[in-house]
Amino acid sequence: MRTTRALILLLIVLAPSAVRSEMLAIVGGTVHPVSGDAFVGTVVVDAGRITEVGPEVSVPAGARSIDAAGMHVYPGLMDAASQVGMVEVGAVAATDDRQEMGSYNTHLEATTAIHPSSELIPVARANGITHVLAVPQPSRDGVIGGRGALLNLDGWTVEEMTVRNSVVMAMSWPEIQTRQFDFSTFSWKESAFEDAKEEATEKQNELRDWFEAARHYKQAMGTKVVRAQSDLRLEYLARCIDGDMLAMVSANNKRDIEAVMDFAQEQNLKLVLVGGREAWKVAARLAEESVPVILGPTQTLPRDEDAPYFHPYALPSLLVEAGVKIAFGSGAQRSSPHSARLLPYEVATAVANGLSEEAAIKALTLWPAEILGVADEVGSIEPGKVANLLVTTGSPLVMVTEIRHLIIGGREVSTDNMHLSLYQKYRGRP
Amino acid sequence: MNAVHPRVAFRLILFLFAVCPAVASTARAEAPTPPPYYAITNVRVVSGTGAVMEGATVLLAEGIIEGVGVGLSVPSDAWVIDGAGLSVYPGLIDGLTSLGLKADDEGSGRGRGGGDDEAPPIRGPEDRPQTTPWLRAADELVVDDKFGKWRKAGFTSAVSSPSQGIFAGQAALINLVDGEPDAMIVSAAAAHRLNFRGGSRRSFPGSLMGVLAYIKQVLEDTNHYVAVNADYARDPNGRVRPEFDRTLEPLARALDQGTPFMMPAQLGRHVDRAITLGQQYELRGIVVGAHGAYDRADALKTAGFGAVVSLNWPEPAKNRDPELDTPLRTLIHRRLAVSTPAALAAAGVPFAFYSDGLSGPNEVFKAIRKAVEAGLTDAQALTALTSGAAELFGVGEQLGTVEKGKIANLVLASDWPWAEDVEVAAVFVDGRRYAERKDDEPTEAPAADVSGSWKLTMQSPRGEREMTAELEMSEDGKVKGNIESQQGTTALEDGRMSGDLLRFKTTREFGGRSRTASWSLTLDGESIAGTMNAGPMSMDVSGSRSAAPSDDESDETTDQEAPVVSLDELRAAGPQIQGKVRAMGTFAVTNASVWTLAGPVIENGTVVVRNGKIQAVGRDVSIPDGAEVIDAQGGALIPGIIDCHSHMAIEGGVNEGSLNVTAMVGIGDVVNPDDIGIYRALAGGVTSANLLHGSANPIGGRNQIIKLRWGMGAEDMKFSGAPLGIKFALGENPKRSNWRSSDIPDRYPQTRMGVMDVIRQAFTEAREYQREWASYKKGAKRGGVKLAPPRRDLKLEALVEILDGERLVHSHCYRADEILQLMRLADEFGFTVGTLQHVLEGYKVADEIAAHGAGASTFSDWWGYKVEAYEAIPYNAALMSERGVVVSINSDSAEEVRHLNQEAGKCVKWGGMDEVEALKLVTLNPARQLGIDNRVGSLEVGKDADMVIYDGHPLEIASVVQKTFVDGDLYFDRETDTARQAFLEELKTKMNGPEEKKEDGGAANTETPSKPSPEVRWADEIYTCREAH
Repeated sequence: MRTTRALILLLIVLAPSAVRSEMLAIVGGTVHPVSGDAFVGTVVVDAGRITEVGPEVSVPAGARSIDAAGMHVYPGLMDAASQVGMVEVGAVAATDDRQEMGSYNTHLEATTAIHPSSELIPVARANGITHVLAVPQPSRDGVIGGRGALLNLDGWTVEEMTVRNSVVMAMSWPEIQTRQFDFSTFSWKESAFEDAKEEATEKQNELRDWFEAARHYKQAMGTKVVRAQSDLRLEYLARCIDGDMLAMVSANNKRDIEAVMDFAQEQNLKLVLVGGREAWKVAARLAEESVPVILGPTQTLPRDEDAPYFHPYALPSLLVEAGVKIAFGSGAQRSSPHSARLLPYEVATAVANGLSEEAAIKALTLWPAEILGVADEVGSIEPGKVANLLVTTGSPLVMVTEIRHLIIGGREVSTDNMHLSLYQKYRGRP
Repeated sequence: MNAVHPRVAFRLILFLFAVCPAVASTARAEAPTPPPYYAITNVRVVSGTGAVMEGATVLLAEGIIEGVGVGLSVPSDAWVIDGAGLSVYPGLIDGLTSLGLKADDEGSGRGRGGGDDEAPPIRGPEDRPQTTPWLRAADELVVDDKFGKWRKAGFTSAVSSPSQGIFAGQAALINLVDGEPDAMIVSAAAAHRLNFRGGSRRSFPGSLMGVLAYIKQVLEDTNHYVAVNADYARDPNGRVRPEFDRTLEPLARALDQGTPFMMPAQLGRHVDRAITLGQQYELRGIVVGAHGAYDRADALKTAGFGAVVSLNWPEPAKNRDPELDTPLRTLIHRRLAVSTPAALAAAGVPFAFYSDGLSGPNEVFKAIRKAVEAGLTDAQALTALTSGAAELFGVGEQLGTVEKGKIANLVLASDWPWAEDVEVAAVFVDGRRYAERKDDEPTEAPAADVSGSWKLTMQSPRGEREMTAELEMSEDGKVKGNIESQQGTTALEDGRMSGDLLRFKTTREFGGRSRTASWSLTLDGESIAGTMNAGPMSMDVSGSRSAAPSDDESDETTDQEAPVVSLDELRAAGPQIQGKVRAMGTFAVTNASVWTLAGPVIENGTVVVRNGKIQAVGRDVSIPDGAEVIDAQGGALIPGIIDCHSHMAIEGGVNEGSLNVTAMVGIGDVVNPDDIGIYRALAGGVTSANLLHGSANPIGGRNQIIKLRWGMGAEDMKFSGAPLGIKFALGENPKRSNWRSSDIPDRYPQTRMGVMDVIRQAFTEAREYQREWASYKKGAKRGGVKLAPPRRDLKLEALVEILDGERLVHSHCYRADEILQLMRLADEFGFTVGTLQHVLEGYKVADEIAAHGAGASTFSDWWGYKVEAYEAIPYNAALMSERGVVVSINSDSAEEVRHLNQEAGKCVKWGGMDEVEALKLVTLNPARQLGIDNRVGSLEVGKDADMVIYDGHPLEIASVVQKTFVDGDLYFDRETDTARQAFLEELKTKMNGPEEKKEDGGAANTETPSKPSPEVRWADEIYTCREAH
């Protein structure tokens, strides 16, 4: 009897929000709009969007009031390169839809890999991640993984979750790789530079061929007499040309980052760099050419033994100081969707190593929205934007901060999740 | 029958081609029999004992030195050689080679597990994997055409050794004479050779610790074999005879006779490791390689060890990615390696040199000159090449000096044999003269200078081959340089310009044989033409000069410019890169929130430290006179963080995963004090760590608890007095659920049933072993004489220690059910599990864990990476604590270890733990779990002063470690880290300058070592149990 009740409770708890939409007024909290200075006031939400924001805003009739006195209101946090919802258990291939075979998968859509009832979704949002850029990963030796989408982390179906599809084309730059992990000896092997360079150049030229073909395809399809066969792969790739769709390209070493930037200029792509472990070495150029960077978790090891021990922790501040716009993604280095909830702490580590708190919050909210061209939808507390909001006891960068109310797409969503349920269940073990 | 298979025919041709020089030597045997009596007169004698005589006479008779002295009368039957202007030196000895051995006779594949994939898998040490101590080089010798090349340069002897396998076999010291192999041998048992390389991951031993454990077991078995045989010999009647063991027999003899054991040891830590092993089993040790012995000379001296120093000095790899960094420690090591011989000589360590794959004497001599430049005297170099080597290998009475009665191995030369322009007039081996052939001498003075860069084209049977030559001619017509082709770079030998004729030789290794080619080219202004002859082949060569003679000085000035940083400066840099910040006297930390963990946090507290121990803790503590005061500026002072699950600082593999029970292996044998991860962990406030074997097998290897005493050697890092421990593993990893590979055969177990069975079987066996020893200790006698003790089994011994409550089990586990099973099994065998590691579902059986009394060491919030981690929750630590389990949070990661304080902080967030209790998760609790809480874990009077200063609340992400103390000494300081970093960068820039010049195509690049120079690995790759393994 008890078990049944617990199960029913569990189902209710873990289901997406029970209401489709309601009018909400968050009253009396310190509002951090991010786009401007903080103030004590009210945020009104209707039909999924923020309608009014300000110190003097009155609660509209019919709105449900949320008392935020003594609390803080932040925009929801964004995981700007994410595989949340695309995999359940890392080691079980059957639950893993992150990576398709093939090298140039322009025709794949992240949304088709999303499992809306994945347990990873409630776990991530419980710590304030309200939306993600879901991106497919290129295959092991592949170059293009597919198209990424902006998703809210709440919805009964993937359609309800989707804010915008085909936001980016996710690519992996063919890097010159002279260090490779050899599983037979379980150690890194260095290969000859010339060979690695030749291999990378060959692949880079192949990518160039794809863009040339896509450019020609676009031109041919634009004419009246079309003899060319329609080709989905080229059609999607063509959208990247002239900046219609963002080219989100991962590269880590200095020379590869520079090569990607050259390539983007050559092909007239609108570039978003992902990874960027050595981006500090090219920070000036990144800033000058307004190329933003989506960084992975900061809590990683320096690659070189002589590098300062805190180097990866300090990378964000080095870039921001140089004028580079940054964001963070749980999948920007290696895919770690289970740890998406830790993103604010990864950024807080950067704060302990030189990044300003203001920049840290922006890098989790407004900057990723701007970088990905979706600042009209998300990223700050401004009228017209999707109502993804956190009502908290403090800064999301501080570990003991609690999220008291979680609003996604204008709906109040529970912070309950599988972990909390298991905790409560076993805590209740007699 | 007469038809010859084409492939056989081809091989036959190759064979004939290869043995050509050998045929020639047979032909030489038809020359007149050389005389047995010589007198070298008017000669300078460099005896090798330190004495130098001028105008002396050396008499040789029937292979022996008959006399050395001034004014000796020359016997009338002696062949007199006028030594005016020349010196006699003892013949040189190459300290480790495969001269005289065929490539396939070096022992590869002998002994099981030696790369033979068809052989049944190794079940354990009892199968004696890769073990051939009975193999003697002396039994395998053949006539070797390489002798001539080495002899001509002054090498008269060499140590020749089987090279493959862990116990490779016995080296012989041979004289480089042509003729019957038996005549070469001076000593048939010069040394045993050990290798520390395992076979592969599929076969035991597959890790360095596996190899070391195996060697120990074999040496234990040897001692036992000796005792049992002695027992039996005393009273054979009515007893079963001990079985003959061909592995143990030669080892027993070696131990008895004090035959040296050669052990590989390239870096300093390897030297330490070899010494530790050698001392444990009273081996006469010789370290081989020894490039890092520059700061271990005293240790070698104290241990009575010798060294055979590799002359293949470390160099940058060719065609390496220019953007890949070379650590400063590597740059320094490359420079200091060449100073090893000088350091050994100064400390009085007996040592020899060996050619270590260098292609010929020219390269060897160049390498010796580098050692001389780095401080070795020529006389010391001579000792290493002669009497030092002879004494090391037990033939010092017979050869190595120019003294009456010694074997007549001599070099007659114009200068030290390794000098740049030396003329070797004659070489005597066993009193037989090998003279330089006169017809190689120039007949005419050079007509033109051939120096410069040349482009050459050779008409080979497979078409044209392009090559380049760099030539440099001296005034007397000698030509040096090298030829570079697709096959690599080869140095010119015996190059001479005579008139307009250039002649030289080149040698190339081919299928384990060296092939010599003779070149004869005629110079005509800026072009050159002629032939190259190699064996039966003759090819036309033509070419032209592409660049004028280079400025002679340019190369040398580059070389002289290179050492901007002196060796002394580099030696001094070592401790700054790898060492404590500074030793502390008595000191006090004031103005700190002191988290003693023995009570509430003391605001504005003080802690006084004296002699590495905490002397006082409190708010109103008086600071002793003269004590240094460190103001924490309102930050927090906490006990040093203890990581209860770490894989840092482990060398040569974290898993011995070949067998399902490997209790004989131990991390303690393979601690790597050079791992930069140690410094990085100190920067994260960590002062102690429990180094664990991996999770590949149900019963893994022994653990090692260390203190992070960065800069000290492996033995000095060990946490003395800590209880012993061992790793177990349950669930997906030992059953290899996520890790099946076609390369690796299936291994039992594949289910949780099997995992438990393996453990139960092992303990059942251990009980038998326990009984055997118990009855022996009660005093088993025969005829009033105490019997030999039973065989020590290192695997079962560790298991018995568990049964006796002397060794803690640290078991990797995930699911609640397997956690329960292990505790029940422990109950059944009467022991308590020390810690459950990971224990991600521990929260489901927290009451049972508390009742059993096991500790739980978990992650803060990792989950979902595999099925057994799917129900992992970040509340685990809090929930288990609530139910009375002693809980710790561990890292299992080189990164996570850097912020364990944050991981503890997560338990305040998830589960609402009290802050003091949360901090205990990474300090006092792991100390309790590991049984070291009497020493560390809290700030209490009398405990070790392992402490960390943060600039804020110790559980908050915003707080940064400012200082870390271990044993009251300062090991990390955020402030001085900035200076350290600046120092590193500055020194590196200074050193890299010339380094880059070299890599841009300077002199260094053309000197291709025929063998890649030895790899320097400061640390292994990062491992974590969270991964598939």
